[in-house]
Amino acid sequence: MNEFEWRQQMRSLRQPIEPGRDLWGAIDAALEAHDGNLTAPQAARHATRQPWLLAAALASAFLLAGGIGLRLHRNATTATDGATALAKSAWNPSDPRLSGAAIELDAARLELQQAMQQSPHSPALQRLLARTEQQQTQLRHLVHEAG
Amino acid sequence: MIAACPATDRSMPPASAAADHDTDDVHAAAAGDRLAFQRLYRRHVERIHGALCRLAGYDHARAEDLTQEAFVRAWQKLPGFRHESAFGTWLYRLAINVALMELRARRADPVGYVDEDKLPEHGETPFCAAEREELERAIGKLPPRARAVLVLHDIEGWRHEEIGSELDMAVGTSKAQLHRARQLLRRALGETP
Repeated sequence: MNEFEWRQQMRSLRQPIEPGRDLWGAIDAALEAHDGNLTAPQAARHATRQPWLLAAALASAFLLAGGIGLRLHRNATTATDGATALAKSAWNPSDPRLSGAAIELDAARLELQQAMQQSPHSPALQRLLARTEQQQTQLRHLVHEAG
Repeated sequence: MIAACPATDRSMPPASAAADHDTDDVHAAAAGDRLAFQRLYRRHVERIHGALCRLAGYDHARAEDLTQEAFVRAWQKLPGFRHESAFGTWLYRLAINVALMELRARRADPVGYVDEDKLPEHGETPFCAAEREELERAIGKLPPRARAVLVLHDIEGWRHEEIGSELDMAVGTSKAQLHRARQLLRRALGETP
């Protein structure tokens, strides 16, 4: 075989090859893991670019703290400064330990809805909005349980 | 045990063929739209997997791992993509780099000699499907760095300068590796070098 035939033969190997299985599932899972495990500087940059992520994270933290507080102090008296909070939020529990979480969750939901006006088909935004609404439902449930 | 990757019997589409469809999806994916990235994946996976399969010596499982890693890396680096080249070209170079990094990490023997007993039996000049498989098997048995040079130069069409740069070797070493790889292949295929 001469040089030309050799090269022609080798170039004939340059073909697309279909993977034996669909790799997208594994890639998608890896992307999910990557997006959920950003390093601190990356997270800070990410939060700067997308403030609604920070708001959602804050809301989750408030919800957790509020839930724990409610369970520990179920018999505590209710506060009376709900009027100010009501002005900030469409729905607000009377318990001051939960009102902060309610305000944050409501603010996060509003920010996510605004962000979705710009990127209506973003799966990440859709997931975060669903999660935020789920947390609001859980918060209502906690308030209902506390009476 | 190496399982050969089944090559689809069609020629390589030009990278520019998909470029027109890529622009919107690249922008959307860079902003975090995973559905757009999935469309990019579907459009480019066979070309990328083909190149990585050849570099992995037609080791199916390893090529799939590399393909997966290449697309994850592309997702991570996409916000930094400057659109100075077509997305397909950028992705292809990134994927090749992933494979070469793995090759370097494995500290592959730079001048390793292949056990000639493990090469396929001698055959005729390969052009039919079965003979091409024989050639692919022979390529798969080459020492990793020699194989990388052969695949990049003779199949992917890279220049020695580019190969030397990517594999961190002198141009002369790249030429020597290519010469050695060709000799081994010709011998395996029953030709006199």
